[in-house]
Amino acid sequence: MSEERLWKFRRPEWMNSATARSAGVYGSGALFSLAFFILLDAAVWSKSALNGSTVHINFTDWLPLIFSSLGMLIINSIEKTRLSADSFSYSGSGVAWKARVVLFLGFASLAGGMAGGVTVLVLKYIVTETSWPTTWMGIANVVANAGVMASTVVLWISQNMEDEYSYNLSL
Amino acid sequence: MTAGLKTIISLSFVLAIGFLLVILSCALFHQYLPLLVVATYVLAPLPNFICSRCASPDDFVESSGNAVIDFGRFCTGFLVLMGVALPAVLAHSHIIQFPAMVMSIIGGLLIYGTIISFGMFFQEEQEF
Repeated sequence: MSEERLWKFRRPEWMNSATARSAGVYGSGALFSLAFFILLDAAVWSKSALNGSTVHINFTDWLPLIFSSLGMLIINSIEKTRLSADSFSYSGSGVAWKARVVLFLGFASLAGGMAGGVTVLVLKYIVTETSWPTTWMGIANVVANAGVMASTVVLWISQNMEDEYSYNLSL
Repeated sequence: MTAGLKTIISLSFVLAIGFLLVILSCALFHQYLPLLVVATYVLAPLPNFICSRCASPDDFVESSGNAVIDFGRFCTGFLVLMGVALPAVLAHSHIIQFPAMVMSIIGGLLIYGTIISFGMFFQEEQEF
């Protein structure tokens, strides 16, 4: 395993422990929850009496988050070991290739969600020159999508950690 | 045995304080939405328990068991942060007052801490 390493810097030792792995998974769930509730907060605030403007959150504001979450679901449902397995005996015919296509779709959906969040912010809130507390609804959209992205990254890293951990244990 | 009894008594005391804080945060301001925090924190450890039963953690060859456990942990993390985020969302839109938010968050964390401590307590008992 160590001869096949690609990168110069090795992963720090503490990252391979079981506690760090489960903490990563918990933290990923918490990050996703934070992202969801930031957008939900903007939606609730938009319908409350505090929102003086006529701009409200509707389905178009939720669409980027839906796409981001879909991308996160796809990315983290892929079996990671199939991805790196190029050998014919292990992965069968073209499983790695299929996994890469599906993974590409997932990343495209995630990036599309992020881009959609920025699009909503620009088109709905910046171009129409809304004042500050209304603009927050657009910024919350971008922050929520960034949160889903960060959650995906944390979950991905901790799942890779899991592989390393089980490998060390099986030796 | 007396140590276990003391743990149970102190844990139930903490649980009662947590419920007191949450109910007070509702009743003082005549707005009963913070009671949702209790439901969230009671639901929070459930995915973890269920998924750890579904998967056998012994086999390392089949990683689908680990995926189920990870899914349970993800849901638990989601629900724990939801218990903090829900009063914050309500307070931001002035549906509940700021003191009610603080009280329901502290009470909810006490309730959740009690549930987690009980879980650890009984897991320790099971090993014998």
